[in-house]
Amino acid sequence: MALLTYREAVIDIEAGEDVLSALLRAEIDARHSCRAGVCQSCLHRAVEGKPPPAAQEGLSDAQKALGYFLACLCRPETPLAIVPAQEAGDRFEVNVQAIDRLGGDVVRLRLEHGPDFVYRPGQFVELIAEDGLGRHYSLASHPEEDSFVELHVRLHPGGRMSGFIAERLTPGRRMCIAGPLGSCIYEGIDPDQPMCLVGSGTGLAPLVGILRDACRRGHRAPIRLYHGVREPHGLYLHDQLETLACERENFSYVARALSVPPPEGGDVAAAVLERETAVADTAFFLCGGERLVTRLKRELYLKGAPLKQLRSDVFAPAS
Amino acid sequence: MSSLYDRLGGAKAVDAAVDLFYRKVLADGRIARFFEGVNMEEQIAKQRAFLTMAFGGPNNYTGKDMREAHKRLVVKGLNDMHVDAVIEDLSSTLRQLGVGENEVKEVAALANSVRNDVLGR
Repeated sequence: MALLTYREAVIDIEAGEDVLSALLRAEIDARHSCRAGVCQSCLHRAVEGKPPPAAQEGLSDAQKALGYFLACLCRPETPLAIVPAQEAGDRFEVNVQAIDRLGGDVVRLRLEHGPDFVYRPGQFVELIAEDGLGRHYSLASHPEEDSFVELHVRLHPGGRMSGFIAERLTPGRRMCIAGPLGSCIYEGIDPDQPMCLVGSGTGLAPLVGILRDACRRGHRAPIRLYHGVREPHGLYLHDQLETLACERENFSYVARALSVPPPEGGDVAAAVLERETAVADTAFFLCGGERLVTRLKRELYLKGAPLKQLRSDVFAPAS
Repeated sequence: MSSLYDRLGGAKAVDAAVDLFYRKVLADGRIARFFEGVNMEEQIAKQRAFLTMAFGGPNNYTGKDMREAHKRLVVKGLNDMHVDAVIEDLSSTLRQLGVGENEVKEVAALANSVRNDVLGR
């Protein structure tokens, strides 16, 4: 394997040269700015090989574990295959195992994958139905417990992928996924540190994966999960999560439907801000629509939550 | 004598300061409006770059970038008073972290050196 491979193309890199310079010399339009490891705009991800630790200075524990690195600081000594940070990377063929309706307009997809697809719970993939039709979905499954990946898909009336899933997808069909992507995972967390998971809509999916991972890794401190939706029928895992909250002493579940007046319903962000008081010591995971995530992140930060404890995953609408 | 950046603690000091500094800036009624609706992640990357420059660290911070980045804000009324507020927030961040007065002054001077670029003069 060559010392540097970018999107499957071999890139010429000189001894002691940094990856960013090599990419630019090869006329690849790599995003960059400070060239001093500060601005982090040249963030890339190794899909094969391990970047040198010096190239991961200042990144989060999750990013480090997932092979992210700064191209301007990276002088590889062993072979590296890389892609830009936001790019999904390799495609994997999957087999549709089951399609089930959960509550409201949410469908659960279970896809069987081969052993070369490796992921961490809470990450997301691009689901590719056919050429030109791909969407991002988070993984609710756990690689050590499930033989499939599980996605929660909200069906949008008139949506292309929604139409495809509702009308054309049947068990046994083959599809592709690309990825995994994202760094909203259980990493760099102290087992005695409280966790607060907040999701709106299908933002619940990655949180389920993270919750399962936290339990599996022996997380001891309280884990509080908040699920916010518009209508009560959107609380699509309500019974399972209520049961889990009864069974596990350190787990609690708060459900909020906007159409139901407080205190039983209302705005989930308000519930989080009211109940979460020890923000400086809590590991936060915020997943779902942009408005909720942005607002909560800002409010929690201003209340004293450290930036590195505010993990988030924004679900952008399909463009 | 080691460089200002080394005396402050290098990249680790930037890490420690950025959290406190950006929180002060967002909560500062004099300047908060200039940060409305901005993407926090991108903003924090910019603040890290700014702090690295102000700490005398390695950077490729250019006057042209500074002018470009603040053009929109100058139109919205950004002036000397707001730059003063930022430098004040930066100084109080450093004091909170236990940085000595001499270093605080050096950082403030470096931050002040980009004033004209920021204000597009």
